[in-house]
Amino acid sequence: MGDIEDTHFETGDSGASATFPMQCSALRKNGFVMLKGRPCKIVEMSTSKTGKHGHAKVHLVGIDIFNGKKYEDICPSTHNMDVPHVKREDYQLTDISDDGYLTLMADNGDLREDLKIPDGDLGAQLRSDFDSGKELLCTVLKSCGEECVIAVKANTALDK
Amino acid sequence: MNDSAIQILEAAAQILMAPPNLVTSEQRHQAESVFLEFRTTKNPYELCRDILEKSTSDYVLFEAAGLIKSGLIREWSLLSKEDTCSIREYLLNYLLKKENPPFLKERLLQTIAIIIKRGSVDDGGRERKALLAELEKIILSSPISQQKLACSLILAIMQEFAITVKSADVGLIWEVHFRLKKSFETINLKRIFRFTIGVLEQIIRSGHPPEGEQAMLIKQLITIIETILCWSHVSPLLSKRLIGAFEAIYESETAPALRLSVNWRDTIMKPELIALFFELHIYVRSNPDLANPSLTCLVQLASLSGVVVSASNLKQQYLENYVNYFLRMLSFIQPVEREMLGIAEIYRRLIQFFTPAMIAATPPAFLQYLTTYTCHCIRGSIIEEGINEDTLLREALNKFLHSWSSLVHDSDGYSNETLQNPCIEVFNTYLQCRLAPPDGTRGLEVKDGCGEDIKEDIEEDERQLYSDVLMTIGAMGRKAPVHCCHVLFTLLQDRSKRLESQLHLLHLGKLPVNGGEQLVTLFEDLHWILMIIGHFLAVDCSGSEATVPPELMQYSIKENANIDASLRYLVGETTTPENIDPIIKLVGAILRISEWECAALEAGLGSVFSPELSATISWLLKIWANSYLMLDPAEYSEMSAVIECAFRQESTAAAWVVQRLAKRSSVVLKHLAAQPVAAKHALQLLAHLTNAHPNKNQLASCEEFMALVAWEASGSNLPGESRKELHRVFARVASFTDGEAKNRLLASTAALQQKLMNLINMDTDTEPVRNMLADTLDCFLGVSEGMLEFGTMDDQLTMLFGALDKIPGIIFKYHNYPGVVLPALNFLSKSAKNAMHSQQRDTVNKFVDICNTTFEVYARWNSGKISSIPQDAEEEAYEDTTALMELVRWLACGERGRGACARGLRLLLPLVSPALLALPALAQRVFRLLRDLDAAEELTILPIEDFNMVIAALRIGLTAVSSDVSTLCCETIVGLSNKAQMMGEDDQYSLSLLTLAELLLMLIIKMEIPPDSIPAAGAAIYSLTCVKPSLLEGLARQVIEAFAANDPANVPRLEDAFRLLTNGVLFDGYRPHKIRFQDNFDKFLASVHGFLIVK
Repeated sequence: MGDIEDTHFETGDSGASATFPMQCSALRKNGFVMLKGRPCKIVEMSTSKTGKHGHAKVHLVGIDIFNGKKYEDICPSTHNMDVPHVKREDYQLTDISDDGYLTLMADNGDLREDLKIPDGDLGAQLRSDFDSGKELLCTVLKSCGEECVIAVKANTALDK
Repeated sequence: MNDSAIQILEAAAQILMAPPNLVTSEQRHQAESVFLEFRTTKNPYELCRDILEKSTSDYVLFEAAGLIKSGLIREWSLLSKEDTCSIREYLLNYLLKKENPPFLKERLLQTIAIIIKRGSVDDGGRERKALLAELEKIILSSPISQQKLACSLILAIMQEFAITVKSADVGLIWEVHFRLKKSFETINLKRIFRFTIGVLEQIIRSGHPPEGEQAMLIKQLITIIETILCWSHVSPLLSKRLIGAFEAIYESETAPALRLSVNWRDTIMKPELIALFFELHIYVRSNPDLANPSLTCLVQLASLSGVVVSASNLKQQYLENYVNYFLRMLSFIQPVEREMLGIAEIYRRLIQFFTPAMIAATPPAFLQYLTTYTCHCIRGSIIEEGINEDTLLREALNKFLHSWSSLVHDSDGYSNETLQNPCIEVFNTYLQCRLAPPDGTRGLEVKDGCGEDIKEDIEEDERQLYSDVLMTIGAMGRKAPVHCCHVLFTLLQDRSKRLESQLHLLHLGKLPVNGGEQLVTLFEDLHWILMIIGHFLAVDCSGSEATVPPELMQYSIKENANIDASLRYLVGETTTPENIDPIIKLVGAILRISEWECAALEAGLGSVFSPELSATISWLLKIWANSYLMLDPAEYSEMSAVIECAFRQESTAAAWVVQRLAKRSSVVLKHLAAQPVAAKHALQLLAHLTNAHPNKNQLASCEEFMALVAWEASGSNLPGESRKELHRVFARVASFTDGEAKNRLLASTAALQQKLMNLINMDTDTEPVRNMLADTLDCFLGVSEGMLEFGTMDDQLTMLFGALDKIPGIIFKYHNYPGVVLPALNFLSKSAKNAMHSQQRDTVNKFVDICNTTFEVYARWNSGKISSIPQDAEEEAYEDTTALMELVRWLACGERGRGACARGLRLLLPLVSPALLALPALAQRVFRLLRDLDAAEELTILPIEDFNMVIAALRIGLTAVSSDVSTLCCETIVGLSNKAQMMGEDDQYSLSLLTLAELLLMLIIKMEIPPDSIPAAGAAIYSLTCVKPSLLEGLARQVIEAFAANDPANVPRLEDAFRLLTNGVLFDGYRPHKIRFQDNFDKFLASVHGFLIVK
């Protein structure tokens, strides 16, 4: 398990803990967990035990929700693991500034301009779609004090 | 000129074989094209001869040999008899002249065999007979290297004639292959057998040890015999498909029985022949290379059947003779491990192929050896388990036990008295091997505990892994119930007492916290004793209800114990074991150990108790309950009074046992919830109690069970998976209960519903909330699966729909969280079967409405979404798509679901990207769904844009490597064509469908479609042509034109082939013409593949 000290840092805005403890056996596939100090989505869960009459340990494989990197950890099923608070919110993209910052509008109309255009293919696609005049919806992922755009889709919700 | 060609080829070969750093990819590419061109050379025989004589490059020699073979197949019809004869003679002389490398030798031998087979079509096998006679001469009088070569050629010829359906020699239609095989069987096979046996006999008599080159020759001779004894003598009355299946079996590792026709009688019934085979084995057994095929011969001979021994006296005579020499051999040798497997297989086959009475009449040594060897293999197999590499003795043990299983179950074979002692010996040996000293011999080699990590999901559950072995050991134990009952009871009581005292010491803190090694040894002993007891007391037939085994019932009747004392012992009111029914005694001891476990768990010893042992106790109680609990005396011809009193439906004792079992499940769930294996088996035990017939179901009136219901309703905090199972059980019991009990049960669903509402209405959207939401949805899935049917809207169904109703809203709110979306989709799709099969229109309508809204919401958030982590997005799409496909499939079942089904498909098709279709498991699901929807006429009612997506998907599916997928696609095309035929060829759906025809035909011609899908592909071509009768002609013209540019010489053959394809066929879609087309299609393929292949 990752160093507890690493995972219990505070988030800047709310003051609440970035993680909360949960019994290992209650974790679910596709749920979230901290592995090696990184917030991960659980992609694989299996159990093993030391010796035939030993008690179960849970083997977790997760991918970093920000960059897709794989992490693994193993933990007795009765122990607790840290689970990160994860938020994924959708914003409408209204503009891209010259220095690569996005102007995003939340459901309630609030604007924010603090996120950069994402790296890689997603960023390129986002820019070209925006330039061609598509209405875009951006999914912003926030966890453990990090925040970035992780998905984009053409906003069909508006037609309906 | 040939010399320069050889030089070019050798230079190219050198480049191809060079290490990658010495040549550029450009050079490599060029060299490859030299050989690609070489392979298409016409009339290549002179050139190839030159190469064989002059070239020194292995690669070039190999290619030349291959070219002769493919050239012969392609150009056979253009060559004269003299040409082929001279090639064959040349090749044989070439091979006899010098020792060639194996890769070259094999190719050339196969080529000769193909010439012989092709030649047989015209000369009725004359040349073949002559060649075989020539080979016999070589074997009798030439140097040993030539003898070996002659044997290899005989084997190559046999191989060529053996397989008809999947023969490598393309260019002949299957009927011809089959006729040739039959002719070979009649004329040559027996002769080869007798000749080879004669040679082997001479070699044995010569007294030379089987060493060096001589051993290699013997190996080939034995292999010839082995091949003949494993030959598939298939009846010509079977269909081609069945014959193909048979041939596949004969190709597999263990050949089926030796079935011979009557003309083999004079050979096979000779006593000296069997004697010779045993003599042969003794002669070669020290050489593993020779011992294996010689044992296979003995195994095959042990299964002689068919008309050759149709009269029972012949069978009897043959068996007596065989067993006689078999026992003589056993008395003479000390079998080594690899021989044990063969001996076990001989026993298995003799017992399978000869009647129980014949087997029982064999000399006593037959049973004695079987007993001794079984015990030997038991000991050896347990050592093997520890080393975990070889499985020889384990396989041998399985075969021996297979034989025992037949012997103990055959009523007209050995008497019980005869079997008793051997059974006790085997039973005791097994028990001993599984127990720690001093009672047993279990050593360090067995994984009984500490140290290594065991992966629970990969390592098989031991209760399943050993169930076959233990089932037979149990059945053997029941042949000697007095002995086995006593031994098992004594052992269980002793270990239980020890466990009790150990746990007591632990509780008092007088032992180390982990209990120490002693405790682990005790757990392991109990684990095995209980597994053996389980299979002794009952037959583990998961699912169906079983009865008390008759031997035990009789034993109980004979003992005629005191009923009152027995019942008091069962419920633990007395511990004096006098005058107590032996079966009840054993059951009482099992219940007692379950009580001790519960007490230990409740006393806080959950962290030291073995989850594995807990699971074994639950498992044992489950399979015991399946046979004994709530038994119905009407199902028995005789009934022990004690057992009836204790376990019949209305008895107080049975109700008491149900209470104990429910209590047990509840305690284990409360204290070992985090141990998957223990929780799983506790839940299975509980679930089993609900499986019983409704009027046998006692759970509704069981207070312990109701307490569990109340505990869960109040928030049990169990892991999601366990809660889901629990709700399934509750829903099942509620389904056939009413009144107050039902209300109490429904309270748990009501609590679930309340929880769902609270979670949905919560303002804060945090990870714990989402986790609870996912768990709750899973619980509802359990409720849905537990309900027997969705009938009228009663309270239970209303609550379930209350939850289903929320799904679109949940997916809307949580669309960014796959951890919530997937359980929601699963809940919906797993409820679909019950909902769509409901007799109530309202139920169906309501469900379909929910699906429609769900599809809309899901599409709104997911279509066209691009993610920063594509692999992850693909994984999520895979899981969602699987659930959605299941849903669409069930929607297609009902009339009312059709609109929703179309909507679902509309959503699904764009989600199923080519990348997803490349995943075999998903592809198979998608195309099965399409085929099923086609059968339900769902596809042709789609809007044309959506239909085009279906066609695009089929295009991908046709080129898949899996034969399952391409067959499914072809079947879908047939179905669609039938509909298109009615719509007319100019209809837009028909036009879209017909675009597949060209691709399909090209795939067929180029052999790029998997061979197993060929018949389906033929049917697809026919049906497509039925839509547009001029289709095939047009396509044929296209193909021929394309061909004319590259290979004008073969254009007439191609034209002929296409003419053959449509000859006499009407494209009307009716059966007679469909069948005629299939016949033509086979001939077409044989002909086209004959001259087109450049593989």
